[in-house]
Amino acid sequence: MKIHTYEKLWLVAAMVLIVGFIATITYGSVALGITMVGDQEDTIEPGELGEDERFDDPRVEQVGENEYEAYVIAQTFIFQPDPIEVPENSEVTFYVTARDVIHSFSVVGTNTNTMAIPGEISTMTVEFDEPDEYGIVCNEYCGSGHHNMEGELHVLPEDEFDLTELSVEADDEVALEDDDEVTLEIAVENGQLEDLETTIEAEIGDETVTEDVTVEGDSTYETTISVDAADLGEGDHDWSVTVDDYEESGTVTVVDQLEDETEDDGGDDDE
Amino acid sequence: MRLTFPRLLLLVALLIVILVELRTVLAFFEIELPFAATIAIGIVGIVALLLWAFLSNDAPSER
Amino acid sequence: MSNTFVDAFPKQARLIRQAFLTSFVALGVGALFGLIQALHRTDIFRPIESTTYYTVLTGHGVFLVISFTIFFLVGVYQWAVTESLEREPVDMRFTWGWYGLMVLGTLLAAFAILAGFTDAIDVSADVLFTFYAPLQGHPLFYIGLVVFVVGTWLAGADWFRTWWAWKGDNPGKRIPLPTFMVLTTMIMWYISSIGVAVAILAFILPWSIGLVESINPTLTRTLFWYFGHPVVYFWLLPAYLLWYILLPKLSGGRLFSDPLARVVFILFILLSTPVGIHHQYLDPGIAEGFKFIAMTNTMFLLLPSLLTAFTVVASMEHGARQRGGEGYFGWLKSLPWREPAFTGMALAGLVFAFGGFTGIVNAGMNINYLVHNSLWVPGHIHTQVGTAVALTFMAGSYWLVPQLTGNRLVGRSVALFQVLLWFVGIIFMTNSMYRGGLIGMPRRTAEPQYDGFDFEVAAGSVGELNAQLALGGVLLFLSTMLFLALMLLTLFNHDSEPIDERSIPRPLSGPEDSPPVLDNLKLWVAIAAVLVVLAYSIPLASIVSRGGLFGPDVSPFPVFIESIGDARFVLESILAGITR
Repeated sequence: MKIHTYEKLWLVAAMVLIVGFIATITYGSVALGITMVGDQEDTIEPGELGEDERFDDPRVEQVGENEYEAYVIAQTFIFQPDPIEVPENSEVTFYVTARDVIHSFSVVGTNTNTMAIPGEISTMTVEFDEPDEYGIVCNEYCGSGHHNMEGELHVLPEDEFDLTELSVEADDEVALEDDDEVTLEIAVENGQLEDLETTIEAEIGDETVTEDVTVEGDSTYETTISVDAADLGEGDHDWSVTVDDYEESGTVTVVDQLEDETEDDGGDDDE
Repeated sequence: MRLTFPRLLLLVALLIVILVELRTVLAFFEIELPFAATIAIGIVGIVALLLWAFLSNDAPSER
Repeated sequence: MSNTFVDAFPKQARLIRQAFLTSFVALGVGALFGLIQALHRTDIFRPIESTTYYTVLTGHGVFLVISFTIFFLVGVYQWAVTESLEREPVDMRFTWGWYGLMVLGTLLAAFAILAGFTDAIDVSADVLFTFYAPLQGHPLFYIGLVVFVVGTWLAGADWFRTWWAWKGDNPGKRIPLPTFMVLTTMIMWYISSIGVAVAILAFILPWSIGLVESINPTLTRTLFWYFGHPVVYFWLLPAYLLWYILLPKLSGGRLFSDPLARVVFILFILLSTPVGIHHQYLDPGIAEGFKFIAMTNTMFLLLPSLLTAFTVVASMEHGARQRGGEGYFGWLKSLPWREPAFTGMALAGLVFAFGGFTGIVNAGMNINYLVHNSLWVPGHIHTQVGTAVALTFMAGSYWLVPQLTGNRLVGRSVALFQVLLWFVGIIFMTNSMYRGGLIGMPRRTAEPQYDGFDFEVAAGSVGELNAQLALGGVLLFLSTMLFLALMLLTLFNHDSEPIDERSIPRPLSGPEDSPPVLDNLKLWVAIAAVLVVLAYSIPLASIVSRGGLFGPDVSPFPVFIESIGDARFVLESILAGITR
């Protein structure tokens, strides 16, 4: 085969270029450790995300010192959780899956970008140094509301970050005749590994109760605060429970006697 | 006319294209050319090219 | 001069005119949709609802990259085969048959898409050109696509048949280069379109009709991309054919090297298909090793394009020197720049070279994460398909259509203005798209304006990027309309004669300089098949064994698990050393 000299030179140069590109990219993968989304995770049934302990409650979890895991669900046309909050100087592994059609999870302006495919779980480990706020978009067309699908990723300063969750269960109605108490069942969950020292402050009507507590890492502290219904008197009373920046509030009604007790027996569990 | 009309048209097109891409390239080296300035440079460039092409008595070379 | 193509082969000219007509109608509609999108997503003018945007977007994709490009391809290829073999098809009814099938397929798919504009008909297919399941379009959309693809298969069969008939009369002769290009392109097309055929016929169509309940999204997506990358070469290779066959003649010279042209097309047979996974670098469920293999294959695909760059530029230089050009770069001045067919192709080649480098960014598996599915990607597509291919087709039409009609091109200066307008328009638009993509603006969205955050532009502003994109879109639309107007006027420009005649000069280095093995198509098919099996069997088996043939809840075929599992383990252990 007759090949012109210049052609040969060009051919060699082209091959050098190609090998050079491959070498650069391989260097990026091996030496710089830029890894890709792969097949590390097993498949998941997209219709049963609620029965999977990772995705039944999409959230951020602490798994080690400065190490976190975020479980994210993309679905038409939202991301859960939203916003995603992580602390600065942390290493976060994202686990992303889709509930319905193919979406993406793309942190705007960064290379944190993955497809979210129903049945598959994408994982990416990302390091966050500085506090910042990022947008998250779905950049795979997912239906007529695709352009509304966005979320936020907040990298918070360490002193503003926590994984505290406060939940309170209280009665709606309490009867005086039963000599009843108004009770607030309070649960403070500390998702971080370090102990949480804080104060629970509960107010019902004019009564204030405070309790200093230490919630151990990765556990939940439960307490019940009660006030005699008689002290509050008949009528509506506002209550609120505050732990750090979290507040739960509601209203309890103290009545003379419960009217609809029999009707309620149907099993209404009155949360 | 120093240039034939088709060549003038081609050079104007190339000038615009080079300007658009050059602005992006410069931005990579942190030299930011403002929007208005870019348009001004473009207009000045095109006018200069037109003047150069028209203000001449040479017959266009057509090879 | 009366030695035109239509004089020699009037029946063929008629068919090719029909194919071009269909192609140009699709171009007109697609361009209008493109204009609507450019103005809508930049929030400059929104005459439609944002939910309707996706109907427009589906139409833009399907009409331009399926109808416009492929109808033009069959036209050019029919011309190339007829011209280079000096021979008509064995049975002209068969030829009209495949053309008819392609039209039928287009109409079915177009109906399914366009019905999305009205609620009166309960049909829509807002699934975009990629139709990723579980998004579901109306079955007519998928049926239309299948009918269309079958039409192209029969077109290829027709060209092979013509070639076999020619071979019978010309034993031992080398395949003429244009026919060689047609046959190799079709081989690549047969190998690659199997993927989309299986995806639709075995999975998506039964699922859209309701015969099967569920689907494995990763599987259909992978089958789509098995076809989705080679299809870009299916668009590109007719443009390559024009660069190799027509451009040297237009430059005033001859093709530099016939053997290297053959090598280039063979490389496309071999390498086009085993690269599709590079569209899935971000997909979970596909091991990194497979992505790495796709990356290396993709990089080697640069080779045929780099070789083409050499041959095309060398042929142009040869032409320029024949016309009296001198000096290292001085010869550039001697090229026929006033000729729209030449200038359009030359500029298309220039933009293609530039776009090739953006393609390298896409192919780089870890850099890809920055730009994947961002506006960068349509930027790349519009420089490559939208210019290297589309502008070459338009420029080629300025030479071909007079040959097919026997009429002189109307408005040669306007035509030159048209190709330059396209060149400027595409630079405005794609420059904005590339920059927008780098700051994370997504593609394929009606409203890239978000409530929760703003895009941080390194230089300039979002408003300026939008203005630039919209301006580019408007210029491209005007350019398209100019082109269509000139084509229409030329069609009715009776009582005139084309300036040029139909003959194509012989290459400087002809087929006798290349080993006959290059023409052994069976050999290349076999090697291509092996490469495809190597690149795809294990990933596909892995996807099926993970997610099931019909979705995650269906058990995989037990026969796959063990044997494949072992092979995969070995491969991964080898690759683990490379990629980690």
